[in-house]
Amino acid sequence: MVVLAASMMSKSGKVLVSRQFVDMTRGRIEGLLAAFPKLVGTGKQHTYVETQDVRYVYQPIEALYLLIITNKQSNILEDLDTLRLLSKLVPEYSPSLDEEGVCTAVFDLVTAFDEAISLGNKENVTVAQVKQYCEMESNEEKLHKLVMQSKVNETKDHMRQRVTEIEKSKIDRGKSEKAFGPMRSPNNIDMNTRGSGPGAGPIFGDIHKTKEQPLASSPAHSKLAGGMKLGKGQKTNQFLESLKAEGEVILEDTQPSAVQSRLSSVPQSDPITVKIEEKLNVTIKRDGGVNNFDIQGTLALQVLNDTNGFIQLQIENQDVTGLSFKTHPNINKELFNSQQIVGAKDPNRPFPTGQNETPLVKWRIQELNEASLPLAVNCWPSVSGNETYVNIEYEASDMFDLHNVVISIPLPALRAAPSVRQIDGEWKYDSRNSVLEWSVILIDESNRSGSMEFAVPAADPSSFFPISVGFSAPSTFSDLKVTAVHPLREGYRCSSVEGR
Amino acid sequence: MASAEKPCTLLVHFDKGSPSMANEIKADLESGDGPTKADAMRRAISLLLNGETLPHLFITVVRYVQSCDDHAVQKLLLLYLETVEKRDPATGKALPEMILICQNLRNNLQHPNEYIRGVTLRFICRLTEPDLLEPLVPSILANLEHRHHFVRRHALSAISAIYRLPQGDQLIPDAPEVVERALATEQDAAARRNAFLMLCACAQERAVEYLLTNAERVSEWPDLLQMAAVDLIRKVCRSKGRVDKGRYIKIIIALLSAPSTAVVYECAGALVSLSSAPTAVRAAANTYCQLLSSQSDNNVKLIILDRLHELRASHREVMVDVVMDVLRALASPNVDVRRKVLDLVLDLLTPRNVEEVVLYLKKEVVKTQAAEAEKGGEYRQMLVQAIHACTVKYPEVAGSVVHLLMDFLGDTNVAAAVDVVLFVREIIETNPKLRVSMIQRLIDTFYQIRASRVCVCALWILGEYSLSLSEVESAISTIKQCLGELPFYTVSEEGESADSSKPAQPVVNSVTVSSRRPVVLADGTYATQSAATETAVSAPAAALGSLASTQNLRSLILSGDFFLASVVACTLTKLVLRLEEVQPSKVEANKACTGALLIMVSILQLGQSSYLPHPIDNDSYDRIVLCVRLLCNTGDDVRKVWLQSCRQSFANMLAEKQFRETEEMKAKAQISHAQPDDLIDFYHLKSRRGMSQLELEDAVQDDLKAATGQFTKDADDTNKLNRILQLTGFSDPVYAEAFVTVHHYDIVLDVTVINRTKETLQNLCLELATMGDLKLVDRPQNYTLAPESSKQIRANIKVSSTETGVIFGNIVYETSNVMERSVVVLNDIHIDIMDYISPATCADVTFRNMWAEFEWENKVAVNTVIQDEKEFLNHIIKSTNMKCLTPPSALDGECGFLAANLYAKSVFGEDALVNISVEKQADGKLSGYIRIRSKTQGIALSLGDKITLKQKGGSS
Repeated sequence: MVVLAASMMSKSGKVLVSRQFVDMTRGRIEGLLAAFPKLVGTGKQHTYVETQDVRYVYQPIEALYLLIITNKQSNILEDLDTLRLLSKLVPEYSPSLDEEGVCTAVFDLVTAFDEAISLGNKENVTVAQVKQYCEMESNEEKLHKLVMQSKVNETKDHMRQRVTEIEKSKIDRGKSEKAFGPMRSPNNIDMNTRGSGPGAGPIFGDIHKTKEQPLASSPAHSKLAGGMKLGKGQKTNQFLESLKAEGEVILEDTQPSAVQSRLSSVPQSDPITVKIEEKLNVTIKRDGGVNNFDIQGTLALQVLNDTNGFIQLQIENQDVTGLSFKTHPNINKELFNSQQIVGAKDPNRPFPTGQNETPLVKWRIQELNEASLPLAVNCWPSVSGNETYVNIEYEASDMFDLHNVVISIPLPALRAAPSVRQIDGEWKYDSRNSVLEWSVILIDESNRSGSMEFAVPAADPSSFFPISVGFSAPSTFSDLKVTAVHPLREGYRCSSVEGR
Repeated sequence: MASAEKPCTLLVHFDKGSPSMANEIKADLESGDGPTKADAMRRAISLLLNGETLPHLFITVVRYVQSCDDHAVQKLLLLYLETVEKRDPATGKALPEMILICQNLRNNLQHPNEYIRGVTLRFICRLTEPDLLEPLVPSILANLEHRHHFVRRHALSAISAIYRLPQGDQLIPDAPEVVERALATEQDAAARRNAFLMLCACAQERAVEYLLTNAERVSEWPDLLQMAAVDLIRKVCRSKGRVDKGRYIKIIIALLSAPSTAVVYECAGALVSLSSAPTAVRAAANTYCQLLSSQSDNNVKLIILDRLHELRASHREVMVDVVMDVLRALASPNVDVRRKVLDLVLDLLTPRNVEEVVLYLKKEVVKTQAAEAEKGGEYRQMLVQAIHACTVKYPEVAGSVVHLLMDFLGDTNVAAAVDVVLFVREIIETNPKLRVSMIQRLIDTFYQIRASRVCVCALWILGEYSLSLSEVESAISTIKQCLGELPFYTVSEEGESADSSKPAQPVVNSVTVSSRRPVVLADGTYATQSAATETAVSAPAAALGSLASTQNLRSLILSGDFFLASVVACTLTKLVLRLEEVQPSKVEANKACTGALLIMVSILQLGQSSYLPHPIDNDSYDRIVLCVRLLCNTGDDVRKVWLQSCRQSFANMLAEKQFRETEEMKAKAQISHAQPDDLIDFYHLKSRRGMSQLELEDAVQDDLKAATGQFTKDADDTNKLNRILQLTGFSDPVYAEAFVTVHHYDIVLDVTVINRTKETLQNLCLELATMGDLKLVDRPQNYTLAPESSKQIRANIKVSSTETGVIFGNIVYETSNVMERSVVVLNDIHIDIMDYISPATCADVTFRNMWAEFEWENKVAVNTVIQDEKEFLNHIIKSTNMKCLTPPSALDGECGFLAANLYAKSVFGEDALVNISVEKQADGKLSGYIRIRSKTQGIALSLGDKITLKQKGGSS
């Protein structure tokens, strides 16, 4: 039942390819193959030859022989099946049935032979199956690749986010140098609960020194990522994309300082990270009036090690009307409502650890009016001759400093970029989506309002709507803060940064 | 030693290679994208396979190719790893850098693409280095759980391959358990088969257990698994005692009804090897017969017939019962199949079934008559021969067939007709009871005979066996009738002869054409037949026959066949002589005598006229003249010679033939007997004895080993010493001698090189070159040889055809003080053709066919000191290692003339034919020619050289 070798040779006896399935020396196989053409008789109606030791079963294919060499006890019925299969495979892989054709496809043939005969034993396969095996198209691999791709994308997103955060913190630092209020807590001030006590601070001490101001009343890193939308929400993704793109540009423009790089690298190893995030989703009508004003906030905790999982967080917040909290089912509600301490219901159960952030508290602020909007945009298109002039202005409330503000104005299809007459900030024209993006890196006291004017060929004024706006801000509406982290187990001392 | 050689897994034709390509390949591998890399890998593998070593490429491959995620490249990488030298030739250990591939292999084993995993596992099956395998084992085992059957299949075979390695049980100590578990849960047929095979090979008791627990369901198993099961049963029953054989036989019987014919075939084979009980053998034989009739493929039929032949050898009595089933295979149109069937059947004749067989054959003969198929004639000839053989063994059946067969005397297929007439000739001698009716029949059908050879024989029969008055008279009248009106030729017949010569002319031409080629006759005489050859004549003769349907003899003679004419003359002489004995009336006898004389004279007249392009040859002329003289002047001595001695010598010939056949039978029977000094095996002592005869006889294993060339017979040492060749002189700085071993397809030179100087020889290299159909397998390597030390160098040379080859070469070396290289030229090594040919036999007809067909002839004039022809023949036979096909009886007697045919076959399956014709000259010397014919030039030339060299004889 053993096929020793499958070979192809020309009628003149030149061996084109031979695949052995059983260990045999080169001299042996070459000898067997060299003997074959002499043994093949002409005018016979059967296609096998036996010698003292082996049996050749062959099939002429045009000017070639396809043959398999078997031992003499081999099952002829099986061998013929195998040969038949091989003879169907050869034309599939060889571009032409002559020496040259076979020579070019030698390796394909070898792999195909391998599929048809596994280590000398016949496989029950069809031509289609062999082709499938040889093509190696695998759904699992595709799936795996997709997963990998999405992971890569995620990481990239993450990186961009970080970059923007770093950027922010850099600006913050600039701000704090100008001695602005402690309201604007920097991004990544993390607390260290390693057992080294207050002395754990040297690194962070550094940070604070460079910031020259101990403004970190909150040990948490808080962040406000806001999306304010004008018009329909569909644009959100595109909007976020452009936001990220902007972030990258910014990174390239600015020289990251040593501290920043440390900042960006440090968080990975911090044992406990608290993230406070508020998302702002607003839809405003063209003629004024709020359609929808919604703020959603989350407090998420990330603990790296199991040993640090036994903690409680002390939070505080400003009393804002319409603010309502929701806690994770595992959080002790009583403790939260009475003392504003976030702790697990079961003190023996640590917070989940790992790379994932666990949302612990969520809140919502509703019933806010137009006056609380952090940014208002006015757009005035006016047609004059064969051109349309568009004037846009923004006005920011002084409650927040806004970072990475991007105002995207849809334009009618244009051949060339619009001519921008005047602008506070920078602009970019995305011709594919035909969107003009007006970006202002930072809106603070110095530029609470700004304007831009550009001209495009005459167009319908309504084609400049809906305008979407995106930004981020370092502080939140609710102004929620984590003031302290209390360890629950002995042997861990908490390096509280409270009162700095 | 041969086992240390690396196995070769792949051969690729590649003629564009050059070592300089290595750099290109390297560049492509480093920089290219997927397809470029793949192409470079292809070239690299081809170069490797053609003997380049490419030592620096490995690192490049590791660095640049492993990381490539193109599937094609990955597959080629595996092929590359398969071909690349993985062991250090000096130590036999795995090269240290090979460990670099492990990581890649492991990644591949965890690759999301199931096919990458699969092919990698398959590659691992061919990996034998335990160092490399060790880190891979966990990943391989993990793949057993893979979702896709493609991966599981190969994982199982990989485990099997690893476990079978020498240190396999350390690498995966629990492999059998793991595989057994996998087998229990596995669904895929091929994977189950692989698992089962693994158990069969490594843990037979587990496999047996699995088989026996599932015995009920075996018939539902997929065919791949069934095959493996049958294989296991074979193996188990061969090695074990016969305690529980019944259970296995039960399984086999169940499988005999399996839907897959391959399984059924395998079962039949297993059944025979399992048991010699008549029931089992009968079941097997029946199965074979079923397959024989159900399978349409000729290959299958032929091989099944081979199996039946084997069965016949060991279980004749059982086979006798299935003879009619076997006969049914005659329905196949293939000649080879039919021939084999007839051979088989003829061996199975018994008094009981002979009637039936002959009846069947007769029906077949009639069928060929009805349907004038292309091969009808050839087939009919085979049938006639078969019937002939039947009647030789069982003469009583002759009566029922001989008359039927005699209808075929006029067959257009000459060979068939000749067979018939020979048959008739033999029967008429051995079966006196049938004589009368046969002679009558022959006289009736004589006019239908068209072929000259048949005519000749028929005439002889008429002459010998027409005994009674009426028979003799009707025989004479029939011959006269067939000759037609006398004279054959008259001058006045000008007009008519122009008519008849027209059709005659082309006949003569064809005769001359065909007679140009010398023919070796059955008795070994090497003759140029000037008489019309039967093959060429048959068709035109038939055409002529239609003109004058009763005058067949006349048309043949008019076409110039004077040999036939001389036979006619002899026959008439005999008949007349007999008539004189049986005819009471002297007048009638004299009348017949004069009639015969008239015919003979007419023939002579025709022979000497210018009517035919060729005049009568001297032999025929002499013979006819002799007949004329005899009839004019009869005597008792002559009468006795003509009427009795002829028949006597024919009877002698038949007796001799039968004697030879029985002798052969006896000789065959003799072989199967055990020799008194044969080894006796005791089952109970087997385990302590290591290899026993029984294990040696494990046919399948041996078969496989023989097929892969692992059998190396140990030649006895005395022989070994005879084969040592001195290559350089004793006073040369380097002494070398070689020991030549000739295997079938390769020659191994073991060269011992000894440094005879007091200096260190550097870069010593044994450079060899070959002449003839020899090829060096590997390149020479450089060695450094310390003062007065020796070194063994081995060189492999490949042989592809039988032919004398010469290996020559030199040893090149450097010494520290002489700058240029020194050269020692070696003695030539001649590879003897005698190592490749062995005596063989073939039928007379085949010999003559081959003689006619083969293109190369080498003619060697006899030049010898030997005085006796017989002695000379024996000398040639001995020195050429051939077999004499001419029977010894034909060589008997002293006539100063000898002709014989010799035959041998080479290990490559080539035929070598030799014909010797010698004659003793008046001065006592032998003269003549030896002719060698073969399909290839090599044999003819080499054998000729050999004979020229050896024929002198004398001294030896």
